[in-house]
Amino acid sequence: MKLSELKAETSARVKSLGNDQHFVNRITSIGMSEGVDFEVVKNDRKMPVLIYVRETLLALNRNDCEKIEVEVKA
Amino acid sequence: MNRIALLGQPNSGKSTVFNTLTGSRQHVGNWPGKTVEKKDGSYTYKGVMYEVTDLPGSYSLFGNSDEEIITENYIRRKEADLVCVLVDASQLERSMYMLAEFAELDAPAVLLLNMMDVARSQNKKIDAEKLSDRLGIPVLPFTAAEDKDYDKLKDLFEKELVQPHKLSSVPDISNMQDAKEIAGAKYAWITKMLEGVTETGKSRFKLDKWDRILLSPVKGKIVCIAVIFVGFLAAMMICIPFMGVGSMLPGLMNRPIADFLNGFNVHPWLVSIFSLLIPNTLYFSLSMAAFVFGVNIVFGFLEEIGFLARTAYQFDHVLSKLGLQGKAVAPMLMGLGCTIGGASGTRVMDNWGQKMLAMAIVWAVPCGSIWSVAPVVSSMFFPAGGTILVIIGIIAYVFFMMWVVSKVFGKSLAPEEQRSGMIMELPPYHKAHWKHIIKEAFYKAFDIFKRALRTVMLISLIFWAFSYTSTGNVENSLLYKIGTVIEPVTRIFGMGWRTFVAFLSSAFAKEAVLGVLNALYVGQGSVADITFNASNAAVDPSLLAVSMNSLVSKAEALAFIFACTFNIPCVMALITTYRESHSFKWTARVALFYIGSALLLSCVIYHVASIFLH
Repeated sequence: MKLSELKAETSARVKSLGNDQHFVNRITSIGMSEGVDFEVVKNDRKMPVLIYVRETLLALNRNDCEKIEVEVKA
Repeated sequence: MNRIALLGQPNSGKSTVFNTLTGSRQHVGNWPGKTVEKKDGSYTYKGVMYEVTDLPGSYSLFGNSDEEIITENYIRRKEADLVCVLVDASQLERSMYMLAEFAELDAPAVLLLNMMDVARSQNKKIDAEKLSDRLGIPVLPFTAAEDKDYDKLKDLFEKELVQPHKLSSVPDISNMQDAKEIAGAKYAWITKMLEGVTETGKSRFKLDKWDRILLSPVKGKIVCIAVIFVGFLAAMMICIPFMGVGSMLPGLMNRPIADFLNGFNVHPWLVSIFSLLIPNTLYFSLSMAAFVFGVNIVFGFLEEIGFLARTAYQFDHVLSKLGLQGKAVAPMLMGLGCTIGGASGTRVMDNWGQKMLAMAIVWAVPCGSIWSVAPVVSSMFFPAGGTILVIIGIIAYVFFMMWVVSKVFGKSLAPEEQRSGMIMELPPYHKAHWKHIIKEAFYKAFDIFKRALRTVMLISLIFWAFSYTSTGNVENSLLYKIGTVIEPVTRIFGMGWRTFVAFLSSAFAKEAVLGVLNALYVGQGSVADITFNASNAAVDPSLLAVSMNSLVSKAEALAFIFACTFNIPCVMALITTYRESHSFKWTARVALFYIGSALLLSCVIYHVASIFLH
């Protein structure tokens, strides 16, 4: 599943960040690494996706979120 | 030599620490051969001098951006005797990533747990001693806005420079090739270091009442625009008193200086330079500094309380269509007041190409001065209804111009594959530390003032040389002679030599346009005197209208209004853009593009309008 498809208040885990080295580096260094647990705070149409990860509220560009594969936690 | 380098992620409070440590004893320049800002400063403590370097960079050290390469090499070459790594104590697990990256470089270090006030307000407890034992380097809990914490920091620096410590524990990344695996190992190391030191990442997130409004798609946008509008008014209120005093300087200083020098029989050229140019340069530089001061106070405040990050979130989607991202929103709105403010506001953007592109686009936003000139000129030629159409036309062209600029420069400045979409933390709402906001705004304003003095003087001198007359009669100036010679060429662009000269002066300062027109058409006052503000010969719009109407056609007037509006904003905005981008090449390119496109626009409007307007 893609991060951009998750609904608000879903807890999930990052499966893959894709292969764009530049992007992987930027997003990893701000806290989204593969295997980390996070929570979707808000996901509105035409807006960046808001997530909460490592005690930080992050806004991620929508297009970038399509590169992130996630799995929903039970 | 005691050289300390500061390293930390954005929002770690690094610049506050740097500014407070060094005060006004800092120097801003470029890293050799790069478009990256280099900030050095110094302070004296107990009679010993310490040099401080603010290392550029973003969230990591090995991402191959110019900033990161500079920082990595700087630390590797041991140019600093001590590296002070700053982390955000309220988001310790995430911000320790910078320390994990730094660990590979094997250099003497101290760790600063900044934002302890925020961490405390969130009831986060951090055992700094335990962390220090594990890491093998000193760990200092710190609040960048607390003056008393700085003595502790300076004591620590003093001690560590004599007896430095290096990290005793580092992430184990031997035999690892894959970047993701390495990142995983670094976070695992952080988790190990923080175990028992602080509680990490177990809390669930709840939006507070402010964020429920500010982050909602419609209500949030309305509130953001309203707040920025009010913020803009506040910035104007701050700078108007300074500008008022500044604007009186040329008028006040002109006569006394001229009389004084004439008393010594000084050559009239020198009298003119000292009595016209210098007071005006002071005025322009002071205005510029005042703008930067006002804008930085408001921006500093909005940024520190966490508001700007929310605005960026709201407008990311729209701006990504121009090749920009959410963080460009505030500079663009500020551009409606003053392009200088807008251009210096782009410093929040972390990608250089997008920052330069944002400045190029901000230039297309008509500033306050244009709105005070364009409607006046328009009303001399067109009835009220026509003037409203002209204004609507200008607004429509603004959006078109933004789109054109993003198309023309977007490909090379921010190519699709290098565009960084917004990845931004929304910090928790903070209280503002006013003293520090004002101090930082003052340093920035003072820095601009010093630079502006030099540059404005030089450019003024060139313009003065062209417009100087000993008699006050326009026809004796070099400007007139060149103007009449080149008129056949300027006619192609739809402008006679007079409107063309006024167009040129609009690149110098938009507010000067009316005065210059007055000098050229009514013949009151010399162009030099008016452009340099020494004589504010009151412009009588009705008299000017009569004179202009007899010499200028409606089509030429229309072409002229658009050409002035979409010319380069002003010399001061040009300087600010150069200063923020550190790239002469790109500033010049964008400037040439604006002049060229303004002339083309003027040409098209004139020839099309000539068919309809008589």
